[in-house]
Amino acid sequence: MTAVHQFVPALLPRDATGDHTRALRDAFRSAGWESDIYVEAAHDELQDEATYFEEYPARARPGDVLLYQLGTSSPVAEFLLGRAEPLVLDYHNVTPESFYEGWEEHTVAKVALARRQVAALAPKAVLGIADSAFNARELEELGCPATTVLPILVDLHVDADRVDGHERVRLAADHGASTVLLFVGRISPNKAHQRLVEALWIYRRIYDPGARLHVVGPAVTPAYADAVFAFADELGLADAVRHGEHLTEAQLAAWYEDADVFVCLSEHEGFCIPLLEAMQAGTPIVALDAGAVGETLADAGILLPTARPATVAAAVARIRGDTALARRLADAGRRRLADFAAPTTRQRFVDVLAGVADAERGVA
Amino acid sequence: MSPDVPAPDGGPDADATSDVADRIRYLDEVMAEIDAEVRRRRASGDLPAGLEQELDELFLEFSPVGLQGRARLRETLSLVDGSAYVDIAVPTASNKAVGSYVKRAIRKGLGWYMNFVVAQIVKFAWSVSRMFHVVVDHIEDLEATVEANRSPDLPSGLVPATPTGSTWWAPAAVDALVGVSDRVVVGDCGDGSLVEALTAAGVDAYGIDPSDIALEPALDRGADVRAEPVLGHLAVVSDEALGGIVLTGSVQWLRPNERVRLLDLASTRLVVDGILVLHSSSPAAWAATASPVVRDLAPGQPLHPETWAHLLRSRGFTVTATIFGGDDRRLARVGTGAADAAEVNAAIDAINDLLLGPTEYLVVATRER
Repeated sequence: MTAVHQFVPALLPRDATGDHTRALRDAFRSAGWESDIYVEAAHDELQDEATYFEEYPARARPGDVLLYQLGTSSPVAEFLLGRAEPLVLDYHNVTPESFYEGWEEHTVAKVALARRQVAALAPKAVLGIADSAFNARELEELGCPATTVLPILVDLHVDADRVDGHERVRLAADHGASTVLLFVGRISPNKAHQRLVEALWIYRRIYDPGARLHVVGPAVTPAYADAVFAFADELGLADAVRHGEHLTEAQLAAWYEDADVFVCLSEHEGFCIPLLEAMQAGTPIVALDAGAVGETLADAGILLPTARPATVAAAVARIRGDTALARRLADAGRRRLADFAAPTTRQRFVDVLAGVADAERGVA
Repeated sequence: MSPDVPAPDGGPDADATSDVADRIRYLDEVMAEIDAEVRRRRASGDLPAGLEQELDELFLEFSPVGLQGRARLRETLSLVDGSAYVDIAVPTASNKAVGSYVKRAIRKGLGWYMNFVVAQIVKFAWSVSRMFHVVVDHIEDLEATVEANRSPDLPSGLVPATPTGSTWWAPAAVDALVGVSDRVVVGDCGDGSLVEALTAAGVDAYGIDPSDIALEPALDRGADVRAEPVLGHLAVVSDEALGGIVLTGSVQWLRPNERVRLLDLASTRLVVDGILVLHSSSPAAWAATASPVVRDLAPGQPLHPETWAHLLRSRGFTVTATIFGGDDRRLARVGTGAADAAEVNAAIDAINDLLLGPTEYLVVATRER
């Protein structure tokens, strides 16, 4: 029987990598395969679904294929380097340490270690699966012998009930008819939140003095988050910048629907799931063409060659002043979203891993 | 690599391809309109040049990487100090009950070994840290010495104002710039008279001046002028974006390093064959007419025209004209019938040449490469 076991540093609920890993396990089991998840740590809610990675050797069987969900540093990487089973990497990208230099030294060390682990694992893997061609190029440059691009599995089913109506009403009452810019993502230097604040400041100065910026995401780099919000205060935007944390799925959906424009000025993204969430909500997108953003977005938004705040503000104003454009972008987003439909992606993962397992067994 | 993520609506049929092409063309048009909007806002003064750079610099003030000088050195030094300690108390927590006991046993068993190795690593790290402290102390001593020798800034109220109204050199500047097709910037334009004269002559000119007050008359008349310093403005103008640059006012008392920066910027912002017009007081006139406080505290002082010509040539300019003018303070010669007229006139000529020659000059140069 085919067995594809996954390894992931941390299995967390309501987390993109965690959801992806569990969805893949279900897909592999549906295909009649054995499939378990091995972790360094698991959230309390998911303890029953995970096994400590050092217990794998006792359970290993000939013909096993190991799939590593790689996005951060972990002892799991060192463990897998010592295993003889065929290894497939599912690479979600590691942010270069240069983004954290001067902000958080321990994160610099952590991501530097992660990138060293990617470099060590890439040549050993029989196949590298990447969320984007951008990520695949990184794996190839590190010596991965073969790569393929498969998007991360995201649950993007459309369901009106999943939007928190009360939250939606509360947000609308708060800002009235003013323009709302939204960004969703960790508050981290590579996401360039300060550029969003700059764009808001210019936008208010020229187009709409009441405009707001909503940012949603955990402040994973506290020094950077503090600097961003202090910067906003200094510019007189304390009341215009709102930070959403610990939102439920339904509340987050309300924030997406409430926004006039989703603005992403990240300087480094390996895929950018929030773009898909904005497409699902029908929120027009303005994004900087950096990392994998261009290929994820395709023609479903305005792709900017620069994050200069005047250009960003003008792009937002262009959408706000042209309902036909906003509608075209929303329609394009929904079309683009179909390319990431979970059933299709799940089957492609199964096909790719079946190919690896067959090759290892010598099946033609 | 096999890029399995499909392209947008990536069907092979011709209709789908045509739809995609139409959408991409439409987005290109939207992007062009956005670019045009930004250019229009910049030209109208809604987005002063340098504004975005000021925002970036302001954010850096909140950033540890943006700390300047002494604060940055000390901040970095504290990071070195913090990293110089190595903790040998390895965490022993485990999600398996037995795991924690095993880890504690390993830690205890290897303690003697780790202690020996880590003690040497920490000693080395502290030596390096100590060396950095010595270097930083030395740098701070140097900074204190430099600070002690620095002159106080010239009070802004004493900064000589750019002359208003028509000047003797304005017609010569207009003559030099007539026919230039690219934009021409007039630095320290004051009340905008020269900008308007250039515009009237068909030149696409605009003015900048660091003083809002000086610009008020020009703004009232609707002239294309903005409140910006010359160096700050040229720093954000694209390379080869200007057909001409007129420099006057503050160019006379720039610090030496600022003067070098100005010349470097002018030589790159001008198109090839672009024209630079530079107006200045002569050093002698400056010494004779500027107030003692200004002369003592101004960061720099006017150069001789020959010196400007030398500096300009070193940056690829050809000086095409040097024109003298300004107040005529020369003493009149006595009549030939007066007693000792020849001796007196010789003395007057010498005084005129040494002290009372032309008070101002204009240098016109062309960028050759």
